[in-house]
Amino acid sequence: MEVFANLWMGFGVAISLQNLFYAFIGVLLGTLIGVLPGIGPVATIAMLLPITFNLNPLSALIMLAGIYYGAQYGGSTTAILVNIPGESSSVVTCLDGYQMARQGRAGPALAVAALGSFFAGCVATLIIAVAAPPLAEVALKFGPSEYFSLMVFGLIAATVLAHGSLIKAIAMVVWGLLFGIIGTDVNSGVLRFTFDIPELSDGIGFVIVAMGMFGATEIIMNLEQKEKREIFTSKVTNLWPTKDDFRSAWPAVLRGTALGSCLGILPGGGALLSSFGAYTVEKKLSSHPERFGKGAIEGVAGPESANNAGAQTSFIPMLTLGIPGNAVMALMIGALMIQGIAPGPQVMNEKPQLFWGLIASMWIGNLMLVVLNLPLIGMWVKLLTVPYRYLFPSILVFMAIGVYSLSNNPFDVLIMAIFGVLGYICSKLECEPAPMILGFILGPLMEENLRRAMLLSRGDPTVFFTKPISAAFMVASLILLVVVALPAIRKKREEAFAEETK
Amino acid sequence: MRRSFLAALAAAVLPAAAADWPARPIHLVVPYAPGGPVDVSARVLAVPLQTALGQPVVVDNKPGAGGNIGADAVAKSAADGHTLVMGAIATHAINPSLYRNFPYDPVRDFRHVALVVQVPNVLVANNDVPARSVAELVAFLKANPGKAAFASGSTGSTGHLAGELFKQLTGTDMVHVPYKGSAPAVLDLLAGRVQIMFDNLASALPNIRAGKVRALAVTTATRSSFVPELPTIEGFDLTTWWGVMAPAKTPEAVVERLAREIRAAIEQPDVKEKLRAMGSETPGVRSPAAFTAFVEKELKTYSALVKRSGATAD
Repeated sequence: MEVFANLWMGFGVAISLQNLFYAFIGVLLGTLIGVLPGIGPVATIAMLLPITFNLNPLSALIMLAGIYYGAQYGGSTTAILVNIPGESSSVVTCLDGYQMARQGRAGPALAVAALGSFFAGCVATLIIAVAAPPLAEVALKFGPSEYFSLMVFGLIAATVLAHGSLIKAIAMVVWGLLFGIIGTDVNSGVLRFTFDIPELSDGIGFVIVAMGMFGATEIIMNLEQKEKREIFTSKVTNLWPTKDDFRSAWPAVLRGTALGSCLGILPGGGALLSSFGAYTVEKKLSSHPERFGKGAIEGVAGPESANNAGAQTSFIPMLTLGIPGNAVMALMIGALMIQGIAPGPQVMNEKPQLFWGLIASMWIGNLMLVVLNLPLIGMWVKLLTVPYRYLFPSILVFMAIGVYSLSNNPFDVLIMAIFGVLGYICSKLECEPAPMILGFILGPLMEENLRRAMLLSRGDPTVFFTKPISAAFMVASLILLVVVALPAIRKKREEAFAEETK
Repeated sequence: MRRSFLAALAAAVLPAAAADWPARPIHLVVPYAPGGPVDVSARVLAVPLQTALGQPVVVDNKPGAGGNIGADAVAKSAADGHTLVMGAIATHAINPSLYRNFPYDPVRDFRHVALVVQVPNVLVANNDVPARSVAELVAFLKANPGKAAFASGSTGSTGHLAGELFKQLTGTDMVHVPYKGSAPAVLDLLAGRVQIMFDNLASALPNIRAGKVRALAVTTATRSSFVPELPTIEGFDLTTWWGVMAPAKTPEAVVERLAREIRAAIEQPDVKEKLRAMGSETPGVRSPAAFTAFVEKELKTYSALVKRSGATAD
């Protein structure tokens, strides 16, 4: 098989001492910045870019890629321990991971997240090796109308994400959509809801909103309880997942990996969407959906596998088409161009060592991450014994630094604080932040693609139903709507949530 | 009286300030997010510059409002040569006509130190478009009025304005489809959902070389050394450019020294090669005065283009 011969050659290159060293530096740095809330791979890679000028292209790429997927591992740690999404992709991990930590099961949550990510990383690496070029063609098949229909489907499925009242979930989604509208309209260039504040003209950053709604809110909530502030550590039962944990986690890992690998290929938030998608899928398939949001291990395993698989497969459009699916990929393209390599369809043929070496290094990097992360679990869990009077101020400081570093703008820190307060009010009203966050991500994308699709079709709305992929999503959405609206099922859904609201 | 005293004082103080410049690290503000070509070239330039100046040159990304936030921050910062900005065609030629309540004067609030990068745009078409030359493209567009679409990275971008200019000069009709950045636009061009695009040479070149899209012409007044086979378009003289600028009152001696060092840096073979990899030929604009004249000329060109296109960001 040619693929295996190529992979073999890739391993031959990637296993050199120098490349192993840079892979290790990359994943180590990535884990660290992943753990620190807000400080993301984009800022880190940008700062390290000049260092790569003097490296050979492969070592440079290996290190930068290591930072990227290392951050995916590290991000889940903060999400699980203190309910702050260390990276945008770990927002969903907060939902159940943190609840597990509250029950003294931070260890199993961390272990499942790491092992799930490792498995997903391995599978996704293999997918890139075997099928990168044909999959890139799939990415090309997704035009504005397909994206729009996918997002309609995602948004409808999102109402399933929430627990509690359906009305509140819809209200939160709409609220998220409205927040997403802030900024410059892509088509006309008109500023919307910016109140002449130039900082708002590019909209509000997703990381800022997520850190405010989850992190800052959590800190306020905890401070409110003067007497019985939670101490999770007294209840730590075991560091390792039990057999039962493994049994319920592995199907979720498989499904998450599959979903993440598919959505990661799509440029524009694919990896992010995949973690939300995986959570919805797990909740839908579970025989006990009421456990979700209260520490279900599938709710950690699915999304964590999905976001890592998605992160890995998002290299496909970059490597095969030269099209960056997200900001990190844009930076990698920048790094390659400096080296005199223009990423595009010909890289695979002209620089096979670079292409296959990078793929092999991804697998090596994932292995390093598991080896690095599993022994650290004990240490992370110990972090929870730090008294709150030290822990909270330091978390807040790190959050502020992280948010500031996104665009060197103090205004963003203020926005995070505002969303912290909003999140607190929402939690008092028993409104879930997750549907809002999803509406916030999907809203602008949906509008952009809807209007672009209409421009391209010269105002003919039937395109959403005449293109096969788009039509499939529309039909699926319709079925989902009917299912939600059917009285019998609605009753069942309410029963499932009845216990929670008590 | 008072004014002349201040002038005398300034004259006495400024040379001293220039003599011990740079006294601390220099911040080079990039008014865009990390990873784009402006950011990458700033980081390339920072390396030889800090060797030459003996102080670290730190690249600060201050994105927002099409680059206006970062440029505005530098316009209003201390004019001591320690805060500089990578001012670009958007922040200093297009945006002033695009935005209402524009916060700074692109000519008078800055000293234009050195033009660093100048990249031609290319007219590329999807392979299914039955045209191998600009003339054939015009004929195709005239035969199918309003049926074809051209993509751009955003409303008011060079790609958009070039498309509008093309429509006017050739009397053709196409729909403009704006995207958020040029990456998704290129994707739809590759897939054939849009038919043509005015893309910058660096990002278009890999797909041109791989035969995934067809290049028809460059937008510059003369042919480019990267793609000498491509003709120019009658009436077009558009490039994408950016360069180092300082706040208006920066001491003359500092501007001179900086201009000299930047010029020397971008002519170093390894730096030159890295900038060429981004599609940039070493700019012909060589002095601060020439750069200011260049910015004034560009400002005029684009204010007319923006007006004719009807684009607005407000």
